Amino acid sequence: MKPLALIGTVLAVAAVTAALLLSGSSYAVQVAITALIFVILTASLNLVTGTAGLMTLGHAAFYGVGAYAAALLSTKLGLSFWVTLPLAGLVTAFFGFLVALPTMRLTSIYFAVATLAIGEMIVVAITNWTGFTRGPMGIRGIPSITVFGHEGLTVNLLVVLAATLVSVWAIWRLTHSYYGNGLRALREDDQCAEAMGLNAVRLKIEVFTIACFFAGIAGALFAHTSGYISPESFRFGESILLLTMAVVGGLGSVPGSAIGAIILIVLPELLRGAGNVRMVAVGVVLFLCILFLPKGLFGEVSALAFARNQLRRAGLGWSR
Amino acid sequence: MVAMSALLEIEAVTRRFGGLTAVDAVSAEIAQGALVGLIGPNGAGKTTLFNLISGVTPVTSGTIRLAGETITGLEPYQIARRGIGRTFQNLRIFPNMTVFDNVSVGPLGHTRNFWWEPLGLGGARAAAEREQITKSARDALARVGLSAEANELAANLSYGKRKYLEIARALAGRPRLLILDEPAAGLNERETSELARFIRELNGEGLTVLLVEHDMSLVMEICQRVMVLASGRKIADGTPAEVQRDAAVLAAYLGTEDEAHA
Repeated sequence: MKPLALIGTVLAVAAVTAALLLSGSSYAVQVAITALIFVILTASLNLVTGTAGLMTLGHAAFYGVGAYAAALLSTKLGLSFWVTLPLAGLVTAFFGFLVALPTMRLTSIYFAVATLAIGEMIVVAITNWTGFTRGPMGIRGIPSITVFGHEGLTVNLLVVLAATLVSVWAIWRLTHSYYGNGLRALREDDQCAEAMGLNAVRLKIEVFTIACFFAGIAGALFAHTSGYISPESFRFGESILLLTMAVVGGLGSVPGSAIGAIILIVLPELLRGAGNVRMVAVGVVLFLCILFLPKGLFGEVSALAFARNQLRRAGLGWSR
Repeated sequence: MVAMSALLEIEAVTRRFGGLTAVDAVSAEIAQGALVGLIGPNGAGKTTLFNLISGVTPVTSGTIRLAGETITGLEPYQIARRGIGRTFQNLRIFPNMTVFDNVSVGPLGHTRNFWWEPLGLGGARAAAEREQITKSARDALARVGLSAEANELAANLSYGKRKYLEIARALAGRPRLLILDEPAAGLNERETSELARFIRELNGEGLTVLLVEHDMSLVMEICQRVMVLASGRKIADGTPAEVQRDAAVLAAYLGTEDEAHA
Protein backbone atom coordinates (compact mmCIF):
# COMPACT_ATOMS: atom_id res chain seq x y z
CA MET A 1 0.00 0.00 0.00
CA LYS A 2 1.27 3.46 -0.81
CA PRO A 3 2.28 5.44 2.29
CA LEU A 4 -0.17 8.22 1.54
CA ALA A 5 -3.10 5.80 1.26
CA LEU A 6 -1.98 4.11 4.47
CA ILE A 7 -1.80 7.40 6.40
CA GLY A 8 -5.16 8.44 4.97
CA THR A 9 -6.75 5.15 6.03
CA VAL A 10 -5.31 5.36 9.54
CA LEU A 11 -6.52 8.96 9.93
CA ALA A 12 -9.98 8.11 8.61
CA VAL A 13 -10.33 5.10 10.94
CA ALA A 14 -9.14 7.15 13.92
CA ALA A 15 -11.49 10.04 13.06
CA VAL A 16 -14.54 7.80 12.66
CA THR A 17 -13.74 5.95 15.89
CA ALA A 18 -13.33 9.21 17.81
CA ALA A 19 -16.55 10.59 16.33
CA LEU A 20 -18.44 7.43 17.31
CA LEU A 21 -17.16 7.50 20.87
CA LEU A 22 -17.80 11.23 21.28
CA SER A 23 -21.31 10.99 19.85
CA GLY A 24 -22.30 8.82 22.80
CA SER A 25 -24.75 6.93 20.58
CA SER A 26 -24.69 3.29 21.65
CA TYR A 27 -26.70 2.42 18.56
CA ALA A 28 -24.06 3.89 16.23
CA VAL A 29 -21.29 2.08 18.13
CA GLN A 30 -23.20 -1.20 17.87
CA VAL A 31 -23.59 -0.73 14.12
CA ALA A 32 -19.87 0.02 13.85
CA ILE A 33 -19.01 -3.18 15.75
CA THR A 34 -21.21 -5.23 13.43
CA ALA A 35 -19.66 -3.54 10.41
CA LEU A 36 -16.13 -4.33 11.64
CA ILE A 37 -17.00 -7.99 12.25
CA PHE A 38 -18.32 -8.16 8.70
CA VAL A 39 -15.13 -6.54 7.44
CA ILE A 40 -13.18 -9.52 8.83
CA LEU A 41 -15.69 -11.96 7.38
CA THR A 42 -15.73 -10.36 3.95
CA ALA A 43 -11.96 -9.97 3.78
CA SER A 44 -11.47 -13.64 4.66
CA LEU A 45 -14.15 -14.75 2.19
CA ASN A 46 -12.54 -12.57 -0.45
CA LEU A 47 -9.17 -14.22 0.17
CA VAL A 48 -10.67 -17.61 -0.70
CA THR A 49 -13.13 -16.53 -3.37
CA GLY A 50 -11.77 -13.35 -4.92
CA THR A 51 -8.05 -14.09 -4.72
CA ALA A 52 -7.82 -17.90 -4.85
CA GLY A 53 -10.97 -18.32 -6.97
CA LEU A 54 -12.72 -20.89 -4.77
CA MET A 55 -16.35 -19.90 -4.57
CA THR A 56 -17.55 -20.73 -1.07
CA LEU A 57 -21.22 -20.50 -0.15
CA GLY A 58 -20.88 -21.64 3.43
CA HIS A 59 -18.69 -19.00 5.02
CA ALA A 60 -21.37 -17.87 7.48
CA ALA A 61 -21.53 -21.40 8.90
CA PHE A 62 -17.84 -21.22 9.84
CA TYR A 63 -18.55 -17.84 11.40
CA GLY A 64 -21.16 -19.76 13.41
CA VAL A 65 -18.67 -22.44 14.39
CA GLY A 66 -16.40 -19.73 15.80
CA ALA A 67 -19.27 -18.02 17.61
CA TYR A 68 -20.47 -21.28 19.18
CA ALA A 69 -16.93 -22.35 20.06
CA ALA A 70 -16.38 -19.06 21.90
CA ALA A 71 -19.83 -19.10 23.52
CA LEU A 72 -19.54 -22.70 24.72
CA LEU A 73 -15.96 -22.36 25.91
CA SER A 74 -16.82 -19.27 27.94
CA THR A 75 -20.21 -20.32 29.34
CA LYS A 76 -19.38 -23.99 30.04
CA LEU A 77 -15.70 -23.79 30.96
CA GLY A 78 -15.61 -20.21 32.18
CA LEU A 79 -12.71 -19.25 29.90
CA SER A 80 -12.11 -15.55 29.34
CA PHE A 81 -12.47 -13.80 25.99
CA TRP A 82 -8.69 -13.64 25.57
CA VAL A 83 -8.55 -17.43 25.60
CA THR A 84 -11.72 -18.13 23.63
CA LEU A 85 -10.77 -15.70 20.84
CA PRO A 86 -7.72 -17.63 19.59
CA LEU A 87 -9.34 -20.97 20.44
CA ALA A 88 -12.43 -20.12 18.39
CA GLY A 89 -10.14 -19.26 15.48
CA LEU A 90 -8.24 -22.53 15.81
CA VAL A 91 -11.36 -24.69 16.23
CA THR A 92 -12.91 -23.10 13.14
CA ALA A 93 -9.68 -23.47 11.19
CA PHE A 94 -9.65 -27.16 12.11
CA PHE A 95 -13.27 -27.50 10.93
CA GLY A 96 -12.33 -25.75 7.71
CA PHE A 97 -9.34 -28.04 7.26
CA LEU A 98 -11.54 -31.13 7.68
CA VAL A 99 -14.01 -29.76 5.13
CA ALA A 100 -11.24 -28.78 2.72
CA LEU A 101 -9.52 -32.18 2.67
CA PRO A 102 -12.17 -34.03 0.67
CA THR A 103 -13.66 -31.09 -1.25
CA MET A 104 -10.55 -29.44 -2.71
CA ARG A 105 -10.39 -31.81 -5.65
CA LEU A 106 -13.83 -30.63 -6.74
CA THR A 107 -13.74 -27.97 -9.42
CA SER A 108 -15.44 -24.60 -9.48
CA ILE A 109 -19.19 -24.72 -8.92
CA TYR A 110 -19.11 -28.30 -7.62
CA PHE A 111 -16.97 -26.97 -4.82
CA ALA A 112 -19.42 -24.10 -4.31
CA VAL A 113 -22.33 -26.54 -4.02
CA ALA A 114 -20.35 -28.71 -1.58
CA THR A 115 -19.64 -25.70 0.68
CA LEU A 116 -23.32 -24.72 0.49
CA ALA A 117 -24.33 -28.21 1.64
CA ILE A 118 -21.71 -28.40 4.37
CA GLY A 119 -22.67 -24.93 5.60
CA GLU A 120 -26.30 -25.96 5.91
CA MET A 121 -25.29 -29.21 7.62
CA ILE A 122 -23.34 -27.25 10.22
CA VAL A 123 -26.29 -24.93 10.90
CA VAL A 124 -28.75 -27.84 11.07
CA ALA A 125 -26.42 -29.65 13.46
CA ILE A 126 -26.19 -26.56 15.70
CA THR A 127 -29.96 -26.15 15.57
CA ASN A 128 -30.77 -29.75 16.48
CA TRP A 129 -28.05 -30.64 18.94
CA THR A 130 -30.06 -29.01 21.69
CA GLY A 131 -28.30 -30.80 24.55
CA PHE A 132 -25.03 -29.13 23.62
CA THR A 133 -25.94 -25.90 21.82
CA ARG A 134 -29.45 -25.27 23.22
CA GLY A 135 -30.63 -25.39 19.60
CA PRO A 136 -32.91 -22.63 18.31
CA MET A 137 -33.10 -21.04 21.77
CA GLY A 138 -29.50 -19.99 21.32
CA ILE A 139 -26.92 -19.29 23.99
CA ARG A 140 -27.36 -16.26 26.21
CA GLY A 141 -25.27 -14.74 28.94
CA ILE A 142 -21.98 -14.92 27.05
CA PRO A 143 -19.52 -12.88 29.13
CA SER A 144 -18.49 -9.61 27.52
CA ILE A 145 -14.96 -8.51 26.69
CA THR A 146 -12.98 -7.18 29.63
CA VAL A 147 -9.71 -5.29 29.46
CA PHE A 148 -8.06 -4.73 32.85
CA GLY A 149 -11.44 -4.93 34.52
CA HIS A 150 -13.09 -2.48 32.11
CA GLU A 151 -16.03 -3.50 29.98
CA GLY A 152 -18.79 -1.92 27.96
CA LEU A 153 -19.45 -0.68 24.46
CA THR A 154 -16.33 1.46 24.20
CA VAL A 155 -14.13 -1.48 25.17
CA ASN A 156 -16.00 -3.70 22.71
CA LEU A 157 -15.51 -1.23 19.88
CA LEU A 158 -11.81 -0.76 20.53
CA VAL A 159 -11.09 -4.48 20.90
CA VAL A 160 -13.08 -5.35 17.77
CA LEU A 161 -11.32 -2.54 15.91
CA ALA A 162 -7.91 -3.86 16.98
CA ALA A 163 -8.82 -7.42 15.98
CA THR A 164 -10.12 -6.16 12.63
CA LEU A 165 -6.96 -4.19 11.93
CA VAL A 166 -4.73 -7.19 12.72
CA SER A 167 -6.90 -9.54 10.63
CA VAL A 168 -7.04 -7.16 7.67
CA TRP A 169 -3.29 -6.62 7.87
CA ALA A 170 -2.67 -10.39 7.80
CA ILE A 171 -5.06 -10.90 4.89
CA TRP A 172 -3.48 -7.95 3.09
CA ARG A 173 -0.03 -9.51 3.49
CA LEU A 174 -1.28 -12.88 2.28
CA THR A 175 -2.90 -11.25 -0.75
CA HIS A 176 -0.09 -8.88 -1.69
CA SER A 177 2.89 -11.16 -1.70
CA TYR A 178 4.33 -13.89 -3.88
CA TYR A 179 2.15 -16.26 -1.88
CA GLY A 180 -0.83 -14.19 -3.03
CA ASN A 181 0.42 -14.43 -6.63
CA GLY A 182 0.29 -18.20 -6.24
CA LEU A 183 -3.31 -17.94 -5.04
CA ARG A 184 -4.23 -15.68 -7.96
CA ALA A 185 -2.64 -18.16 -10.35
CA LEU A 186 -5.02 -20.80 -8.95
CA ARG A 187 -7.96 -18.52 -9.62
CA GLU A 188 -6.83 -17.77 -13.15
CA ASP A 189 -5.92 -21.32 -14.20
CA ASP A 190 -5.15 -23.96 -11.59
CA GLN A 191 -3.88 -26.60 -14.06
CA CYS A 192 -1.47 -24.11 -15.50
CA ALA A 193 -0.35 -23.12 -11.99
CA GLU A 194 0.43 -26.80 -11.33
CA ALA A 195 2.55 -26.91 -14.46
CA MET A 196 4.60 -24.07 -12.92
CA GLY A 197 5.32 -26.20 -9.85
CA LEU A 198 2.59 -24.97 -7.50
CA ASN A 199 0.92 -27.62 -5.39
CA ALA A 200 -2.62 -26.47 -6.06
CA VAL A 201 -4.37 -28.82 -3.64
CA ARG A 202 -2.08 -27.86 -0.77
CA LEU A 203 -2.55 -24.15 -1.46
CA LYS A 204 -6.33 -24.48 -1.67
CA ILE A 205 -6.54 -26.38 1.62
CA GLU A 206 -4.27 -23.81 3.25
CA VAL A 207 -6.15 -20.75 2.08
CA PHE A 208 -9.52 -22.25 2.99
CA THR A 209 -8.24 -23.13 6.47
CA ILE A 210 -6.82 -19.63 6.94
CA ALA A 211 -10.09 -18.01 5.87
CA CYS A 212 -11.98 -20.22 8.31
CA PHE A 213 -9.60 -19.16 11.07
CA PHE A 214 -10.59 -15.53 10.49
CA ALA A 215 -14.27 -16.46 10.25
CA GLY A 216 -13.84 -18.08 13.67
CA ILE A 217 -12.22 -14.93 15.05
CA ALA A 218 -15.16 -12.90 13.73
CA GLY A 219 -17.56 -15.39 15.35
CA ALA A 220 -15.88 -15.05 18.74
CA LEU A 221 -16.04 -11.27 18.50
CA PHE A 222 -19.73 -11.46 17.65
CA ALA A 223 -20.51 -13.87 20.52
CA HIS A 224 -18.73 -11.80 23.13
CA THR A 225 -19.96 -8.41 21.95
CA SER A 226 -23.62 -9.38 21.54
CA GLY A 227 -23.84 -11.71 24.56
CA TYR A 228 -26.39 -13.86 22.75
CA ILE A 229 -26.15 -16.07 19.66
CA SER A 230 -28.58 -18.34 17.86
CA PRO A 231 -28.33 -20.41 14.65
CA GLU A 232 -30.33 -17.77 12.75
CA SER A 233 -27.26 -15.55 12.35
CA PHE A 234 -25.26 -18.13 10.41
CA ARG A 235 -27.59 -19.33 7.68
CA PHE A 236 -27.07 -19.47 3.94
CA GLY A 237 -28.50 -15.96 3.53
CA GLU A 238 -25.60 -14.53 5.53
CA SER A 239 -23.10 -16.33 3.27
CA ILE A 240 -24.77 -14.74 0.28
CA LEU A 241 -24.64 -11.35 2.01
CA LEU A 242 -20.88 -11.84 2.51
CA LEU A 243 -20.47 -12.75 -1.14
CA THR A 244 -22.44 -9.63 -2.10
CA MET A 245 -20.16 -7.49 0.06
CA ALA A 246 -17.11 -8.99 -1.68
CA VAL A 247 -18.58 -8.42 -5.14
CA VAL A 248 -19.61 -4.82 -4.39
CA GLY A 249 -16.20 -4.04 -2.89
CA GLY A 250 -14.37 -5.95 -5.60
CA LEU A 251 -13.28 -9.56 -5.91
CA GLY A 252 -9.70 -10.00 -4.75
CA SER A 253 -9.44 -6.58 -3.11
CA VAL A 254 -8.81 -6.14 0.62
CA PRO A 255 -9.88 -2.48 0.86
CA GLY A 256 -12.83 -3.41 -1.35
CA SER A 257 -13.87 -6.06 1.19
CA ALA A 258 -13.80 -3.49 3.96
CA ILE A 259 -15.78 -0.89 2.05
CA GLY A 260 -18.27 -3.44 0.66
CA ALA A 261 -18.95 -4.74 4.17
CA ILE A 262 -19.35 -1.26 5.63
CA ILE A 263 -21.70 -0.13 2.84
CA LEU A 264 -23.93 -3.18 3.13
CA ILE A 265 -24.13 -3.01 6.94
CA VAL A 266 -24.58 0.73 7.24
CA LEU A 267 -26.94 1.25 4.27
CA PRO A 268 -29.74 -1.00 5.60
CA GLU A 269 -29.39 0.69 8.99
CA LEU A 270 -29.80 4.12 7.40
CA LEU A 271 -32.91 2.81 5.65
CA ARG A 272 -34.35 1.26 8.79
CA GLY A 273 -37.30 3.67 8.59
CA ALA A 274 -38.28 2.13 5.27
CA GLY A 275 -39.11 -1.22 6.87
CA ASN A 276 -38.61 -4.34 4.82
CA VAL A 277 -38.01 -2.32 1.67
CA ARG A 278 -34.45 -1.88 2.93
CA MET A 279 -33.53 -5.43 1.92
CA VAL A 280 -34.71 -4.58 -1.59
CA ALA A 281 -32.24 -1.71 -1.48
CA VAL A 282 -29.43 -4.20 -0.81
CA GLY A 283 -30.47 -6.14 -3.89
CA VAL A 284 -30.58 -2.95 -5.93
CA VAL A 285 -27.04 -2.06 -4.80
CA LEU A 286 -25.79 -5.47 -5.97
CA PHE A 287 -27.66 -5.21 -9.25
CA LEU A 288 -26.44 -1.70 -10.03
CA CYS A 289 -22.95 -2.69 -9.03
CA ILE A 290 -22.80 -5.63 -11.43
CA LEU A 291 -24.33 -3.48 -14.15
CA PHE A 292 -22.17 -0.36 -13.81
CA LEU A 293 -19.16 -1.51 -11.80
CA PRO A 294 -18.52 -5.06 -13.01
CA LYS A 295 -15.27 -5.21 -11.05
CA GLY A 296 -16.86 -3.77 -7.92
CA LEU A 297 -15.20 -0.72 -6.40
CA PHE A 298 -11.61 -2.02 -6.44
CA GLY A 299 -11.78 -5.53 -7.85
CA GLU A 300 -9.24 -7.45 -9.88
CA VAL A 301 -11.78 -9.59 -11.72
CA SER A 302 -15.24 -8.73 -12.93
CA ALA A 303 -17.96 -10.71 -11.21
CA LEU A 304 -19.39 -11.84 -14.53
CA ALA A 305 -16.03 -13.01 -15.86
CA PHE A 306 -15.52 -14.81 -12.57
CA ALA A 307 -18.87 -16.60 -12.84
CA ARG A 308 -18.20 -17.48 -16.47
CA ASN A 309 -14.81 -18.91 -15.55
CA GLN A 310 -16.38 -21.02 -12.81
CA LEU A 311 -18.94 -22.45 -15.21
CA ARG A 312 -16.39 -23.02 -17.96
CA ARG A 313 -14.21 -25.08 -15.64
CA ALA A 314 -17.20 -27.17 -14.69
CA GLY A 315 -17.80 -27.79 -18.37
CA LEU A 316 -21.06 -25.84 -18.27
CA GLY A 317 -19.83 -22.58 -19.73
CA TRP A 318 -21.10 -20.43 -22.48
CA SER A 319 -18.27 -19.54 -24.83
CA ARG A 320 -16.20 -16.42 -24.49
CA MET B 1 25.92 -35.78 -30.09
CA VAL B 2 27.17 -39.20 -29.02
CA ALA B 3 29.02 -37.78 -26.05
CA MET B 4 25.90 -36.02 -24.72
CA SER B 5 23.97 -37.75 -21.99
CA ALA B 6 20.23 -38.13 -22.29
CA LEU B 7 18.26 -35.56 -20.29
CA LEU B 8 14.87 -37.04 -21.04
CA GLU B 9 14.36 -40.74 -21.68
CA ILE B 10 11.01 -42.02 -22.88
CA GLU B 11 10.80 -45.78 -22.75
CA ALA B 12 8.00 -47.71 -24.44
CA VAL B 13 5.36 -45.26 -23.25
CA THR B 14 1.77 -46.15 -24.01
CA ARG B 15 -1.44 -44.33 -23.20
CA ARG B 16 -4.87 -45.76 -23.92
CA PHE B 17 -8.18 -43.93 -23.59
CA GLY B 18 -10.73 -46.73 -23.53
CA GLY B 19 -10.27 -48.54 -26.82
CA LEU B 20 -8.16 -45.78 -28.36
CA THR B 21 -4.39 -46.01 -28.13
CA ALA B 22 -3.37 -42.35 -28.28
CA VAL B 23 0.32 -43.03 -27.71
CA ASP B 24 1.58 -46.47 -28.67
CA ALA B 25 4.91 -47.76 -27.28
CA VAL B 26 6.84 -44.60 -28.06
CA SER B 27 10.51 -44.54 -27.12
CA ALA B 28 12.81 -41.56 -27.50
CA GLU B 29 15.74 -39.84 -25.92
CA ILE B 30 16.46 -36.15 -25.75
CA ALA B 31 20.09 -35.31 -25.21
CA GLN B 32 21.25 -32.60 -22.84
CA GLY B 33 21.44 -29.36 -24.81
CA ALA B 34 19.48 -30.61 -27.81
CA LEU B 35 16.81 -28.79 -29.76
CA VAL B 36 14.36 -31.46 -30.81
CA GLY B 37 11.14 -31.15 -32.75
CA LEU B 38 8.12 -33.36 -32.36
CA ILE B 39 5.73 -33.20 -35.29
CA GLY B 40 2.82 -35.11 -36.65
CA PRO B 41 -0.56 -34.58 -38.24
CA ASN B 42 -3.61 -33.63 -36.16
CA GLY B 43 -4.56 -36.39 -33.78
CA ALA B 44 -1.13 -38.03 -33.97
CA GLY B 45 -0.77 -38.04 -30.19
CA LYS B 46 1.67 -35.14 -29.84
CA THR B 47 -0.28 -33.35 -27.14
CA THR B 48 -0.99 -36.61 -25.33
CA LEU B 49 2.71 -37.46 -25.30
CA PHE B 50 3.39 -33.96 -24.04
CA ASN B 51 0.81 -34.41 -21.27
CA LEU B 52 2.38 -37.74 -20.33
CA ILE B 53 5.80 -36.08 -19.98
CA SER B 54 4.43 -33.21 -17.88
CA GLY B 55 2.31 -35.55 -15.76
CA VAL B 56 -1.10 -34.12 -16.63
CA THR B 57 -2.15 -37.54 -17.93
CA PRO B 58 -0.84 -40.73 -16.29
CA VAL B 59 0.84 -43.31 -18.54
CA THR B 60 -0.85 -46.67 -19.13
CA SER B 61 2.56 -48.33 -19.31
CA GLY B 62 6.17 -47.37 -19.87
CA THR B 63 8.65 -45.15 -18.09
CA ILE B 64 9.81 -41.56 -18.47
CA ARG B 65 13.03 -40.43 -16.84
CA LEU B 66 14.45 -36.94 -16.39
CA ALA B 67 18.21 -36.90 -15.82
CA GLY B 68 18.04 -40.54 -14.78
CA GLU B 69 15.17 -40.08 -12.32
CA THR B 70 11.84 -41.75 -13.04
CA ILE B 71 9.12 -39.11 -13.24
CA THR B 72 6.19 -41.27 -14.30
CA GLY B 73 3.61 -41.35 -11.53
CA LEU B 74 4.57 -37.94 -10.16
CA GLU B 75 2.09 -35.06 -9.94
CA PRO B 76 2.47 -32.27 -12.55
CA TYR B 77 3.79 -29.82 -9.94
CA GLN B 78 6.45 -32.32 -8.83
CA ILE B 79 7.57 -32.81 -12.42
CA ALA B 80 7.70 -29.04 -12.91
CA ARG B 81 9.87 -28.73 -9.80
CA ARG B 82 12.27 -31.30 -11.20
CA GLY B 83 12.97 -28.97 -14.07
CA ILE B 84 10.45 -29.32 -16.87
CA GLY B 85 9.05 -25.97 -17.95
CA ARG B 86 6.26 -25.75 -20.47
CA THR B 87 3.99 -23.54 -22.49
CA PHE B 88 0.51 -24.42 -23.65
CA GLN B 89 -1.04 -25.01 -27.02
CA ASN B 90 -3.75 -22.39 -26.56
CA LEU B 91 -1.75 -19.78 -24.68
CA ARG B 92 -2.58 -20.00 -21.00
CA ILE B 93 -1.43 -16.87 -19.22
CA PHE B 94 -3.05 -15.41 -16.11
CA PRO B 95 -5.02 -12.54 -17.70
CA ASN B 96 -6.10 -10.69 -14.54
CA MET B 97 -2.58 -10.50 -13.15
CA THR B 98 0.20 -8.11 -14.08
CA VAL B 99 2.94 -9.22 -16.44
CA PHE B 100 5.44 -9.32 -13.58
CA ASP B 101 3.09 -11.28 -11.32
CA ASN B 102 2.51 -13.79 -14.13
CA VAL B 103 6.21 -14.41 -14.49
CA SER B 104 6.80 -14.55 -10.72
CA VAL B 105 4.68 -17.70 -10.57
CA GLY B 106 7.39 -19.56 -12.51
CA PRO B 107 10.09 -19.31 -9.82
CA LEU B 108 7.47 -19.30 -7.03
CA GLY B 109 6.65 -22.89 -7.91
CA HIS B 110 10.19 -23.88 -6.99
CA THR B 111 10.15 -22.34 -3.53
CA ARG B 112 8.58 -23.72 -0.39
CA ASN B 113 6.04 -20.90 -0.37
CA PHE B 114 4.81 -21.33 3.21
CA TRP B 115 1.72 -19.37 4.18
CA TRP B 116 3.38 -17.74 7.17
CA GLU B 117 6.14 -16.19 5.05
CA PRO B 118 4.09 -13.14 3.97
CA LEU B 119 3.34 -12.49 7.65
CA GLY B 120 7.04 -11.90 8.21
CA LEU B 121 7.66 -15.24 9.91
CA GLY B 122 9.79 -16.90 7.22
CA GLY B 123 13.14 -15.62 8.42
CA ALA B 124 16.22 -15.15 6.26
CA ARG B 125 15.51 -18.15 4.02
CA ALA B 126 12.14 -16.76 2.94
CA ALA B 127 13.65 -13.32 2.36
CA ALA B 128 16.38 -14.87 0.19
CA GLU B 129 13.76 -16.82 -1.74
CA ARG B 130 11.70 -13.69 -2.32
CA GLU B 131 14.76 -11.91 -3.67
CA GLN B 132 15.48 -14.88 -5.90
CA ILE B 133 11.91 -14.83 -7.26
CA THR B 134 12.16 -11.12 -8.00
CA LYS B 135 15.50 -11.56 -9.74
CA SER B 136 14.42 -14.58 -11.80
CA ALA B 137 11.21 -12.84 -12.87
CA ARG B 138 13.02 -9.62 -13.83
CA ASP B 139 15.70 -11.54 -15.74
CA ALA B 140 13.10 -13.56 -17.63
CA LEU B 141 11.14 -10.43 -18.56
CA ALA B 142 14.32 -8.74 -19.75
CA ARG B 143 15.21 -11.87 -21.74
CA VAL B 144 11.97 -11.70 -23.76
CA GLY B 145 11.96 -7.90 -23.90
CA LEU B 146 8.88 -7.28 -21.77
CA SER B 147 10.51 -5.30 -18.94
CA ALA B 148 8.70 -2.12 -19.94
CA GLU B 149 5.32 -3.85 -19.66
CA ALA B 150 6.03 -5.41 -16.23
CA ASN B 151 3.18 -3.58 -14.50
CA GLU B 152 0.64 -3.93 -17.30
CA LEU B 153 -2.24 -6.32 -16.93
CA ALA B 154 -1.38 -9.45 -18.93
CA ALA B 155 -4.76 -9.33 -20.68
CA ASN B 156 -3.80 -5.97 -22.22
CA LEU B 157 -0.77 -7.32 -24.08
CA SER B 158 -0.90 -8.03 -27.80
CA TYR B 159 -1.17 -11.66 -28.87
CA GLY B 160 2.47 -11.89 -29.86
CA LYS B 161 3.66 -10.42 -26.56
CA ARG B 162 1.45 -12.80 -24.62
CA LYS B 163 3.30 -15.67 -26.32
CA TYR B 164 6.59 -14.30 -25.07
CA LEU B 165 5.07 -13.73 -21.63
CA GLU B 166 4.18 -17.40 -21.47
CA ILE B 167 7.71 -18.39 -22.47
CA ALA B 168 9.15 -15.94 -19.91
CA ARG B 169 7.02 -17.51 -17.18
CA ALA B 170 8.46 -20.92 -18.02
CA LEU B 171 12.02 -19.54 -18.29
CA ALA B 172 11.76 -17.80 -14.92
CA GLY B 173 11.43 -21.24 -13.34
CA ARG B 174 14.92 -22.01 -14.74
CA PRO B 175 13.93 -25.29 -16.38
CA ARG B 176 16.37 -27.98 -17.49
CA LEU B 177 14.00 -28.92 -20.29
CA LEU B 178 11.68 -26.44 -21.95
CA ILE B 179 8.73 -27.87 -23.85
CA LEU B 180 6.97 -25.51 -26.21
CA ASP B 181 3.56 -26.65 -27.42
CA GLU B 182 2.81 -25.14 -30.83
CA PRO B 183 4.53 -21.82 -30.10
CA ALA B 184 4.07 -20.52 -33.64
CA ALA B 185 0.31 -21.00 -33.74
CA GLY B 186 -1.41 -17.73 -34.61
CA LEU B 187 1.81 -15.88 -35.46
CA ASN B 188 2.49 -14.36 -38.86
CA GLU B 189 5.60 -15.17 -40.89
CA ARG B 190 7.74 -12.37 -39.51
CA GLU B 191 6.76 -13.16 -35.92
CA THR B 192 7.43 -16.83 -36.50
CA SER B 193 10.94 -16.21 -37.77
CA GLU B 194 11.62 -13.92 -34.80
CA LEU B 195 10.42 -16.67 -32.51
CA ALA B 196 12.62 -19.18 -34.34
CA ARG B 197 15.65 -17.00 -33.76
CA PHE B 198 14.74 -16.62 -30.09
CA ILE B 199 14.34 -20.37 -29.55
CA ARG B 200 17.67 -20.99 -31.24
CA GLU B 201 19.29 -18.40 -28.98
CA LEU B 202 17.87 -20.08 -25.87
CA ASN B 203 19.19 -23.41 -27.09
CA GLY B 204 22.55 -21.81 -27.83
CA GLU B 205 22.75 -20.79 -24.18
CA GLY B 206 22.54 -24.47 -23.23
CA LEU B 207 18.81 -24.93 -22.66
CA THR B 208 17.36 -28.22 -23.87
CA VAL B 209 14.22 -27.56 -25.91
CA LEU B 210 11.49 -29.86 -27.15
CA LEU B 211 9.31 -28.20 -29.72
CA VAL B 212 5.91 -29.68 -30.42
CA GLU B 213 4.52 -28.41 -33.69
CA HIS B 214 1.74 -29.15 -36.09
CA ASP B 215 3.31 -27.00 -38.75
CA MET B 216 6.52 -28.47 -40.15
CA SER B 217 8.27 -25.36 -41.40
CA LEU B 218 9.43 -23.93 -38.06
CA VAL B 219 10.65 -27.31 -36.86
CA MET B 220 12.52 -28.06 -40.08
CA GLU B 221 14.15 -24.65 -39.91
CA ILE B 222 15.60 -24.75 -36.40
CA CYS B 223 15.68 -28.30 -35.01
CA GLN B 224 18.73 -30.53 -35.08
CA ARG B 225 16.56 -33.58 -34.77
CA VAL B 226 12.94 -34.26 -35.57
CA MET B 227 10.65 -37.00 -34.33
CA VAL B 228 7.46 -37.74 -36.19
CA LEU B 229 4.34 -39.20 -34.60
CA ALA B 230 1.42 -40.60 -36.56
CA SER B 231 -1.55 -42.42 -35.05
CA GLY B 232 0.24 -42.66 -31.73
CA ARG B 233 3.39 -44.31 -33.10
CA LYS B 234 6.79 -42.86 -33.73
CA ILE B 235 7.29 -43.31 -37.46
CA ALA B 236 10.51 -41.39 -37.96
CA ASP B 237 13.38 -39.91 -35.97
CA GLY B 238 16.31 -38.13 -37.56
CA THR B 239 17.65 -34.90 -38.98
CA PRO B 240 15.15 -32.62 -40.71
CA ALA B 241 16.57 -33.63 -44.10
CA GLU B 242 16.18 -37.34 -43.35
CA VAL B 243 12.68 -36.93 -42.04
CA GLN B 244 11.59 -34.88 -45.04
CA ARG B 245 12.66 -37.68 -47.38
CA ASP B 246 11.02 -40.39 -45.28
CA ALA B 247 8.24 -42.09 -47.19
CA ALA B 248 6.23 -42.94 -44.09
CA VAL B 249 6.30 -39.29 -43.06
CA LEU B 250 5.17 -38.13 -46.47
CA ALA B 251 2.39 -40.68 -46.37
CA ALA B 252 1.28 -39.59 -42.93
CA TYR B 253 1.20 -35.92 -43.93
CA LEU B 254 -0.19 -36.33 -47.43
CA GLY B 255 -2.31 -39.33 -46.62
CA THR B 256 -1.36 -41.35 -49.74
CA GLU B 257 -1.95 -45.00 -48.96
CA ASP B 258 0.33 -46.54 -51.58
CA GLU B 259 3.44 -44.79 -50.30
CA ALA B 260 2.86 -45.97 -46.74
CA HIS B 261 4.39 -49.42 -47.21
CA ALA B 262 7.78 -48.07 -48.29
